[in-house]
Amino acid sequence: MSRLARWFRGGRYLSPGAGTLLLLPFALVMALAFVYPLFDLLSQGLFAPKFTTVHYQRVFDQPVYLRILWRTLMTAVSVTVLCLILGFPVAYLLARLQGFKAAVVAACILLPLWSSVLVRTYAWVVMLRREGLVNSGLQSLGLIDAPLKLLYTEGAVLIAMAHVLLPFVVLPIYGTLKNIPPDYERAALVMGARRFQVFREVVLPLSMPGVASGSLMVFLTAIGFYVTPALIGGPQQMMISTLISQQVRELLNWPFASALVGVMLVVVLGIAAVFNRAIGIDRLTGGKA
Amino acid sequence: MRGVSVGIERLKVAYGPVTAVNDVSLDIAPGEFLALLGPSGSGKTTILMTLAGFEHPSAGRILIGSDDVTTRPTNQRNIGMVFQRYSLFPHMSVRDNVAFPLKMRGVAKAERARLAEAALAKVRLAEFAGRMPAQLSGGQQQRVALARAIVYEPRVLLMDEPLSALDKNLREEMQLEILRLKEQLGITVVFVTHDQQEALTMADRVAVLSNGQLQQLGSPRDLYEAPANRFVAGFVGEMNFLEVGVLRSGGDGAAVRLPGGAEAVLPQGQIAGSPSGAQAVLAVRPERLVPVADGGVPVAVEQVVYSGATVLLVARSDDGTEIRARIGTHAGLAPLARGDRIRLGWAPEAARLFA
Repeated sequence: MSRLARWFRGGRYLSPGAGTLLLLPFALVMALAFVYPLFDLLSQGLFAPKFTTVHYQRVFDQPVYLRILWRTLMTAVSVTVLCLILGFPVAYLLARLQGFKAAVVAACILLPLWSSVLVRTYAWVVMLRREGLVNSGLQSLGLIDAPLKLLYTEGAVLIAMAHVLLPFVVLPIYGTLKNIPPDYERAALVMGARRFQVFREVVLPLSMPGVASGSLMVFLTAIGFYVTPALIGGPQQMMISTLISQQVRELLNWPFASALVGVMLVVVLGIAAVFNRAIGIDRLTGGKA
Repeated sequence: MRGVSVGIERLKVAYGPVTAVNDVSLDIAPGEFLALLGPSGSGKTTILMTLAGFEHPSAGRILIGSDDVTTRPTNQRNIGMVFQRYSLFPHMSVRDNVAFPLKMRGVAKAERARLAEAALAKVRLAEFAGRMPAQLSGGQQQRVALARAIVYEPRVLLMDEPLSALDKNLREEMQLEILRLKEQLGITVVFVTHDQQEALTMADRVAVLSNGQLQQLGSPRDLYEAPANRFVAGFVGEMNFLEVGVLRSGGDGAAVRLPGGAEAVLPQGQIAGSPSGAQAVLAVRPERLVPVADGGVPVAVEQVVYSGATVLLVARSDDGTEIRARIGTHAGLAPLARGDRIRLGWAPEAARLFA
């Protein structure tokens, strides 16, 4: 936001009029399709029609809702960690590859982004169901006698969500790794560092801005994820967006759905603020290579 | 701390069909300052990267002291290196940067800090230990890099165009700094540069490279006064080249026909290669040319540039070759102007003939 202000205020690159004109379509869509509905929804939870906190109290009074909220946060944390574990090596590889090989790996990461989340989720349903690829594979190898229950488990939700969200952690980490000059690693090697020490002392700290922004992207998206947990998870894996959707579509309880959204919004904004602060501090100390 | 010898034996580095370094042998004495000089693509950086272990020879051997390190990984070679730029870790303080190689060697924390501060004092940056690299100027950063490269008392110091990113004044200051440190430590230095002036002023010996091949290895004076071939003659310092006809050549020297018809004689020591054909190239430095009454080469003056101690004459011979002469202001030169016709000559030992 501050960068936008710098661009448009002085008119160094664009006149203020042109800047406003370019922003206008986006600002209109945001106002009509996001800001207005959000505030409309939030107001329903607080004014019915007079000011009341009864719906918010209900969120905190009934342990089942806090449990779902907690589970949502924990699922998002697990998915983020899983994405980092799976994504960092890929990003590292991609940053080291050149030419055709790099293009192939990049395509493998980007292609899934261009297919719908629904398709990718159903692919996991096909893989994980009782007579699916995983079960039949394990059975034909003789590793198991009867099909395992894979679908509608927490593990299935985590893996499928991590798969869908993986590109969002790979790309920013790739960006920071690509910007680390190769001389840093060479300098560390000459000074006697072993490969692992080069990674721990130089590469990892310098990639932290990418790790942080990738984690934030995955974490925030995971919190609001609807399709994947709804299709792959059972009732035990219900996340907050499924709960909100249930309140709205099945129970028509808009004010309570609004309170859930409000609580979630505060939590998400708080986490984003903490993350932003962490990344900001990292930048100051020279984190950007 | 004492330097060790470095041996490069018949080194060849090839990437597929491209040969970056071809059959280069160099013997570097303990405590010597050797410059690798050449244009980009000459293989000088590849040789340095092979010494560091970042590139791997297709043939040949690398010796540090008496150890064959040809296949030894970089992190076990115990060498110091200063890079062109971007070599200080931006997320560590100056002190932590300098202490990094000690940390990798398992030196205790207090001892690390003490040695790092001592190394920083050697490059006169002791008071900057607590700063981050981004808070230092380019010259200061390279001095920190220097401190970091010597703090663990390596046997050899490699420098990859360490001054090319600095502006001219800083560059001269850093040249002195590096020489002072080298004297103080007695360390062997291998220094890559494309700046011939830098190589001549700093190095004990210079290896001139072109197209992956060693053209000449010698002291700065050797290179300047007795270049081994046309490439070295043209690359090191300013040089005039004249196309000449060979009249005769034998054991006692050669006689050639200069542009304009005059004859010139060259003693045997001034001839590189064996001029067997009818044509050869004669090379003379601009500062060795003087106006003469007869003999030499007749030229038309095109430009006269006064620059204090010398006057630069840009002239053209009748066959169209540009000839530059730097003549002392007090050599009693009559005032010259564009279009004047004069003859430029030289003492017999000032010219070299290349086949």
